[in-house]
Amino acid sequence: MLQTKKRNTIYDEVLARGFTRRDFLKMCTALAATMGLTFKESEKVVQAMETAKRVPVLWLQFQACTGCTESFIRASHPKVESVLLDMISLEFSDVLSAASGEALEEAMQNVIREYAGEYVLVCEGAVPDDTYCQLGGKGAQEVLKEAAKDAKFIITFGSCASWGGIQAAKPNPTNARPIKDIVKNKQIVRVPGCPPIAEVMTGVIAHVITFGKLPELDQHGRPKAFYRHRIHDKCNRRAYFDAGLFAESFDDIGAKQGYCLYKLGCKGPTTYASCAEMRWNGGTSYPIQSGNPCIGCTEKDFWDNGPFFERRAKIPGTQTTINPDKVGFALTGVALAGVAAHAAATAVKKKIDEKSSEERSE
Amino acid sequence: MTHPNTGLETQASGIDLRKEPVKKVYVWELPVRVFHWVNVLCILALFLTGIYIGNPFIGSSVPEEAYYSNVMGWSRYIHFFAAFVFTANIILRVYWFFKGNKYAKTNPFKKAYWQDVWETTKFYLFLKNKKKHTVGHNSLAQLFYLIFIGVGSLIMILTGIYLYFEPQFESIAVAKLGALFGGDSFSVRSFHHIVAWFFIIFMVVHVYMAIREDWLKRNGTISSIFTGYKVDKENNEEEQKR
Repeated sequence: MLQTKKRNTIYDEVLARGFTRRDFLKMCTALAATMGLTFKESEKVVQAMETAKRVPVLWLQFQACTGCTESFIRASHPKVESVLLDMISLEFSDVLSAASGEALEEAMQNVIREYAGEYVLVCEGAVPDDTYCQLGGKGAQEVLKEAAKDAKFIITFGSCASWGGIQAAKPNPTNARPIKDIVKNKQIVRVPGCPPIAEVMTGVIAHVITFGKLPELDQHGRPKAFYRHRIHDKCNRRAYFDAGLFAESFDDIGAKQGYCLYKLGCKGPTTYASCAEMRWNGGTSYPIQSGNPCIGCTEKDFWDNGPFFERRAKIPGTQTTINPDKVGFALTGVALAGVAAHAAATAVKKKIDEKSSEERSE
Repeated sequence: MTHPNTGLETQASGIDLRKEPVKKVYVWELPVRVFHWVNVLCILALFLTGIYIGNPFIGSSVPEEAYYSNVMGWSRYIHFFAAFVFTANIILRVYWFFKGNKYAKTNPFKKAYWQDVWETTKFYLFLKNKKKHTVGHNSLAQLFYLIFIGVGSLIMILTGIYLYFEPQFESIAVAKLGALFGGDSFSVRSFHHIVAWFFIIFMVVHVYMAIREDWLKRNGTISSIFTGYKVDKENNEEEQKR
């Protein structure tokens, strides 16, 4: 990527690209909506855009499948080109860089040096022990720590960077960990999902850039604007849930009618994500709408939460999931059998005791 | 009277009860009896609706539109209503723990208590034992209630509050409760579902023990939860000294 020596404000950039102020204001309003702000607050966005400089972004990938990058470049609001070109200067990205090899490594060092304390570090993928993941000959942890040291904020895109992901699923052979477990003294936004929705990713970046601070986070460090509700709370099939109408299999009449997928193992009731509101591919659809139960990909350790298409419960402190009703029923049976056996033993004992006391009294 | 080895009452057969010095003891005060029956109703309602919520086992057999019925809606409504009654009931019982008579409390912080738990365990295993005679609950029973009704209810109430307020963490600060139960929504739900079955197992053992006690001692254990009174026929027991 190009090294920009003089950094313009975002407003300057927009004007330089031939847009009018009216276009600029429209963009700011759309952006405010994307960030989950109210219409009133769009003025704040305008103000920030007029004064804020383009923010340098360093995008690092570790144990990742590049799915998050793929999702990101398919964003439609704001258009990825406007995020990339108008608001941020993506100074380093393995996937999107034209340069490669030593030139790219050098570019990264330049960003860290030139924009120390200013750049936003974006991470994709979990970080394992150094043996299992190296970038340009250096261990992943070393690269991460070096890049994180002078970063203003860190945004962790995807479930791997946020929670550890599939490589951290038990037994976790490479000791893969989320970014937050390795970098402890930085402000980190978790943006989980496998991958996260593109508009969520751009929305978070836009917020950080616009206000120069992190968005409001929940107890797990996720931006509330996008992770405040469960999918279940906003599901388009929710009416069927409340009515007690459930698809029993993928090809029955219920599935055809569009019934709730709860009994097919839908994880919507335990999954915090904005799929049901923002949907995918520019608001076209999302898994439940398309007839597939939610697999809960934004949740911590979702790979360890049992089969995707069954309702289970996890035994606390283990990775074992059970059908709680079957096990509960069996245990109740065992309890009944135990009680019956104890009752029989009591009756026998009683008989013996009575006999012996009769003998004594005789 | 009492068998020297087992502590089992033997006079029921052969010895005329009317000649014994029979004493009626007021064991379960009214708040305890009310608590018991409200708790029974709540647990049954909560369990039935809860099992349906976890695995909706009945539903319309013909395809229909969502606006005709509200089965899950009503199940959840009843579940939540019963949950608040259950919680209030438990809170009142905790108050009565301090306010009520000596049969309404327990003190597991004494060495003698744990010795008696051991002796009582031996008693139930038909081994030689020195179990203390009690009119209320014996020490093992107290432990049983403390774990199942005490700790069990606490887990159910806390996880339940978390799940109930899940759609509206903004309005009430219970989100951090989840950290006690594994942090994520699925773990909290799993706790809630698994512990629910402990209440049913508790119920099986509890009902059996009550019937067994009444059968062996003929002391009115079953009727005592309606009237409050038990019959005490032993002379040399500690209860009379007090």
